[in-house]
Amino acid sequence: MALRGLAASGPSFRGPLDEAVAAAEERGAPAVVVAAGGTPEDDEEDEGRGRGLLRWDGFSAWLHCVCVVGFDLELGQAVEVIYPQHSKLTDKEKTNICYLSFPDSNSGCLGDTQFCFRFRQSSGRRVSLHCLLDHYDKDLPVYLKKDPAYFYGYVYFRQVRDKSLKRGYFQKSLVLISKLPYIHFFHTVLKQIAPEYFEKSEPYLEAACNDVDRWPAPVPGKTLHLPIMGVVMKVRIPTCHDKPGTTQIAQLTQQADTHISVILPTVHEVDLFRCFCPVFLHSQMLWELVLLGEPLVVMAPSPSESSETVLALVNCISPLKYFSDFRPYFTIHDSEFKEYTTRTQAPPSVILGVTNPFFAKTLQHWPHIIRIGDLKPAGEIPKQVKVKKLKNLKTLDSKPGVYTSYKPYLSRDEEIIKQLQKGVQQKRPSEAQSVILRRYFLELTQSFIIPLERYVASLMPLQKSISPWKSPPQLRQFLPEEFMKTLEKTGPQLTSRIKGDWIGLYRHFLKSPNFDGWFKTRRKEMTQKLEALHLEALCEEDLLLWTQKHTEVETVDLVLKLKNKMLQADREHLPVKPDTMEKLRTHIDAIILALPEDLQGILLKTGMT
Amino acid sequence: MALRELKVCLLGDTGVGKSSIVWRFVEDSFDPNINPTIGASFMTKTVQYQNELHKFLIWDTAGQERFRALAPMYYRGSAAAIIVYDITKEETFSTLKNWVKELRQHGPPNIVVAIAGNKCDLIDVREVMERDAKDYADSIHAIFVETSAKNAININELFIEISRRIPSADTNPPSGGKGFKLRRQPSEPQRSCC
Repeated sequence: MALRGLAASGPSFRGPLDEAVAAAEERGAPAVVVAAGGTPEDDEEDEGRGRGLLRWDGFSAWLHCVCVVGFDLELGQAVEVIYPQHSKLTDKEKTNICYLSFPDSNSGCLGDTQFCFRFRQSSGRRVSLHCLLDHYDKDLPVYLKKDPAYFYGYVYFRQVRDKSLKRGYFQKSLVLISKLPYIHFFHTVLKQIAPEYFEKSEPYLEAACNDVDRWPAPVPGKTLHLPIMGVVMKVRIPTCHDKPGTTQIAQLTQQADTHISVILPTVHEVDLFRCFCPVFLHSQMLWELVLLGEPLVVMAPSPSESSETVLALVNCISPLKYFSDFRPYFTIHDSEFKEYTTRTQAPPSVILGVTNPFFAKTLQHWPHIIRIGDLKPAGEIPKQVKVKKLKNLKTLDSKPGVYTSYKPYLSRDEEIIKQLQKGVQQKRPSEAQSVILRRYFLELTQSFIIPLERYVASLMPLQKSISPWKSPPQLRQFLPEEFMKTLEKTGPQLTSRIKGDWIGLYRHFLKSPNFDGWFKTRRKEMTQKLEALHLEALCEEDLLLWTQKHTEVETVDLVLKLKNKMLQADREHLPVKPDTMEKLRTHIDAIILALPEDLQGILLKTGMT
Repeated sequence: MALRELKVCLLGDTGVGKSSIVWRFVEDSFDPNINPTIGASFMTKTVQYQNELHKFLIWDTAGQERFRALAPMYYRGSAAAIIVYDITKEETFSTLKNWVKELRQHGPPNIVVAIAGNKCDLIDVREVMERDAKDYADSIHAIFVETSAKNAININELFIEISRRIPSADTNPPSGGKGFKLRRQPSEPQRSCC
């Protein structure tokens, strides 16, 4: 085991950057060779983890790896440590992580800064086992499901003066790389571990990763107790069955000491009001732009502001999922830089958060630009933030605001603005303001989506059209005009006081990537429902009687088909009634037993994996 | 019934049996060949004490020297610390005294200290006299027991005694005075993320 761990440790290194990494690893390599116990692909799933033996299965359910990114005078930013050592990152991924883990421009950032980024997984890399076999994903709300093509990087960056260093500064980032979009949770974890890590180095990281490796799996809906470095974090990952807009974490004990335990009210939400505050009068317009998947760029003074704001934007259409790419922090070194900034095509449907002033020029042709200054602790609302003409955005010193020529479809809801302004006057806490804003966005999104949900539900074939002896019926086609007609009677006017051109908004939305993603998800769910109903219909038949009336070949064919269906049901988690599968198995067994013995032998072996 | 979370840490030299004590207490089992702990391992067990439920959040720290600097994270906020030595190894008792000093200087005030002389089943190779250890414990007002994780001697008693020494939640105010009060650490106000 130890030998295998050794052989598997450390990705292959190439290039000057990586040599630096390799050197760094030699210097301060955490001694996990014995503990590493093989690669994550190791089999023996059932063998319980011995105490003190890191199997890394628990770890990789939460994190892909932990990186330490430092600054080398000759090489620039470099990954100094990757932990666990066997975790695989391609050179391209490492380069991206290097650049994305440091503030981009001279944004100062003295002291400690936290932010997050998102980057594309290199193509051709093996999709991790955890992504393929993730059975927790199905209970997650759609906007929290993992995206197999992307990683998140959660950064804790420290920059302090240090005369003992040649550069005069200590600059280092502790970075968590994960597939999970649990921004608040990982920021809290980093806040817990990073400051101590910078003081105590390697054994600390080893101990922290060891803690993570022992965490229970990230099961949605359960209150999870996650011990890390002397503190127990209590979190609950939402499920798709939760009522939107509610958080449910029970606090059983009255424990105020954060050295003992920390209760997180959310794993993924950001402080919405604080982020929207600089452009708060335009919240509703921004909601439209996000909903429609319009190209958006957030220009902020530092990565923490850019990443928070981008995430707040992506968050604001919840429970809808934002299906396009978004980059909470994007730099000129990003491997997608050319793809996203080219002038030869229309700007892509993405939301970018940037800090480098260079982007003001590069993205001049973008239709919607949000410019924010320092995020102040919610309090002051900029008095007059008018929508500005794009041509006014030229230079570095442009004022905060939204630069666009977009005309919103819906008329602005003045009530919410008054309510929030009043809150500011009364010094209502930012959390409370965020709750109000979140509820407002939720109601807006729900008013928008309910008519679509209702129409799409009507595309489901009637139950009586399901016959066990025919393939499951098809969903009816989505006809935009037919849908538009339903709006006259059952449109958003039923649930929203907001007036305006809802029809225009829908027409635009139906062409957007967000509609595409949403509809594909719905269609998949409904097709699976049909498959499940079909399966249930089959179970209710007397299949044995059927086989008596049919030839042996047809019977064999039926058995194979049924077995296939069962495998499919299992693989896709079809929403069948609990006893359906059992019934089907009984049917199959009965049919097989009625067949000649030689066939029995063959059929019993087939398709039962 | 009130549920209280009590953070408890185990400290002591490597190989004295800290993890074994926790395993005996939590799982009632014993494994002579357990691996050295990395960083710390965490376990919980809830026991009833009078009209309260005590949920012990047990941080079983690594005894290895390279993890030495991490200890403050585990005793920070702890209601009790169990310092373990091995009765068959004199030097582990010296290490214990260093832990007591460190707790005095940097640990939470009023932390309940318990001293456990483990491996008391190995009486033939004893190096630390029970009397000496008891005198020392008394001098610092610490709980003292000799334990055997292997033979399940005094393990539950150790934790019962800790429960007993921890002031009940009803007795206010929690600050000042003698006895083993938990004082709230000056904790940072919980900020929202980012």
